[in-house]
Amino acid sequence: MKPSTALILPTLAFLLILVVYPTVYLFYMMFQSFNPLLEMAPHFVGIRNFITFVNDPEAAYAIAIMLLLTAITVPAELGLGMLLGILLSSRHLHGRSILASFLLIPMSIPAVIIGLNWKMIFFTEGPLNAFLKSVGIPPQPWLSAPFGNPFNTIFCLAVLDVWQWTPFIALAVSSGIESVPAEVREAASLDGASEAQILRHVVLPMIKGVILIVLLLRVIDSLKIFDIIYMLTYGGPGSVTTTLPFYIYKVGFTLTAAHADLGYASLLAVVLLLIASILVVMVLMRVFKIERVIWE
Amino acid sequence: MKREHVLGAIITAVGWLVMIIYLLPFIWMIGTSFKPIGEWGLPTLFPKVITLRNYLEVLLTGGIYGVRGHFPPIGHYLLNSLLVSICVASLTSWLGALTGYAILRYKAGGTSFANWILSLRMIPPVVVLYPLVVLTKSLALYDTLGGLILVYPLVTIPITTWFMVGSLKSVPKETEEAALLDGCTPFQVFYKITLPQATTGLATAFIFAFIFSWSEFLIPLLLAPSERAMPLTVFAAYFSNQYGILWGPLSAAAVIISIPVIVLAFLIRKYIVHGLTMGFVR
Repeated sequence: MKPSTALILPTLAFLLILVVYPTVYLFYMMFQSFNPLLEMAPHFVGIRNFITFVNDPEAAYAIAIMLLLTAITVPAELGLGMLLGILLSSRHLHGRSILASFLLIPMSIPAVIIGLNWKMIFFTEGPLNAFLKSVGIPPQPWLSAPFGNPFNTIFCLAVLDVWQWTPFIALAVSSGIESVPAEVREAASLDGASEAQILRHVVLPMIKGVILIVLLLRVIDSLKIFDIIYMLTYGGPGSVTTTLPFYIYKVGFTLTAAHADLGYASLLAVVLLLIASILVVMVLMRVFKIERVIWE
Repeated sequence: MKREHVLGAIITAVGWLVMIIYLLPFIWMIGTSFKPIGEWGLPTLFPKVITLRNYLEVLLTGGIYGVRGHFPPIGHYLLNSLLVSICVASLTSWLGALTGYAILRYKAGGTSFANWILSLRMIPPVVVLYPLVVLTKSLALYDTLGGLILVYPLVTIPITTWFMVGSLKSVPKETEEAALLDGCTPFQVFYKITLPQATTGLATAFIFAFIFSWSEFLIPLLLAPSERAMPLTVFAAYFSNQYGILWGPLSAAAVIISIPVIVLAFLIRKYIVHGLTMGFVR
């Protein structure tokens, strides 16, 4: 055996069990039907799950909500993160490293705990409404929004994700800015450029690559959002905040959806896998030049 | 010069103010964890009367609140989380080092293997969890710590591997090549020469894997549904759903769960961005 093969063998064994086998199993299961509450064993149903999927408005809604959440959180994180990152890299700021350390707090605490924290904040008789009342704004039903206006609840979810991940963009941007050589800034400064001009026309164009990478990572990671939905809204009210990952959970694990079925859940999982893979293959692999990063 | 000072003062004030406002929700929760029962819902950041009762109940005695409910102490779940996180972090920092080394020095599996490992970081775990529930059930590992230790590497292997590729890169090749010429096997070179020069990287990879294991929620939610193997994150969720009104103990539990990972993140703060971007941002 080649030494390189021997070195990766243990990891390969794990990935065979944790990735390859489950993927194969999914592709088998998506042609089966199995509801453990009603049946003893899975049985073959051909393409019935596909027909269910095409005619399932809940699945389409779940995909749309998942993408909507991405469309809200990622631009917000990018905008706020860049502002914060620029502020953080300012040489006029005293205590920079302390502030940067504080920024690690939202990123490092478990998402479940963030959900728990904000559930109390958003509670109808909670601190946020008490604060609003003290400044003369009537209390808002943050999480129990009426069915007609699902946007409130989705907005609350977005706040959590933005709160947790804006610091990540801020830290990446500020370390990118700090890695711009001092000579470049000095040269621009000698040419008479103001600090704002240097930032706008010299520094930011130089860290475009960094920004693109963190942006894409956030897009990809936003497809995984689950913990905060579980904690804050449990997919509700109704199924207003049921994104595709949460819909898979309801269809396949709690068996509480209208189409509760493990075969159908497998099909939905394959759909999510395809959406994620398209993003990974089409976008990431072109941006992340792996060969350059590792072997050069 | 004067103008510089004024600018510095303004920017510093703005920076600190922004940071404090940003962290208010978390600060409020820390405050609530020290509040006695009557103050829980108040928007005040600091308790009027400081009490340690919430922490004592969560850590040692458990709490009984009449009709509002009662909860067990956190010890059992804390131990579960610690055991699983330490095992997974040890296992996957080692696997990550081996694989990272093979990719870096031997181009094992070529570009496609490296790309594949990278892409695993991007796939939502919910996709493969149903088959893994079936698998752990058939191996009698369902609802055990062993099952969690088997499955968590799904999340941590890509992270440690990519982190180790980056940190092994700074180890000079020359001594390795000399040792290979002297007849050492690649494994001997790896363990005796390369790895001892990358201990900081290995420790950082361990901490990364620990933080991710500690925070993992979906996998144990589906694979360890009973009390037996339940880690802290799932316990916190049940606690919140069943005794959601007990904000004092709930906040104390949340703070206890957060502190270890915050401390660890501070320890590796220089490498956080590098690690989370899989080494693509220095």
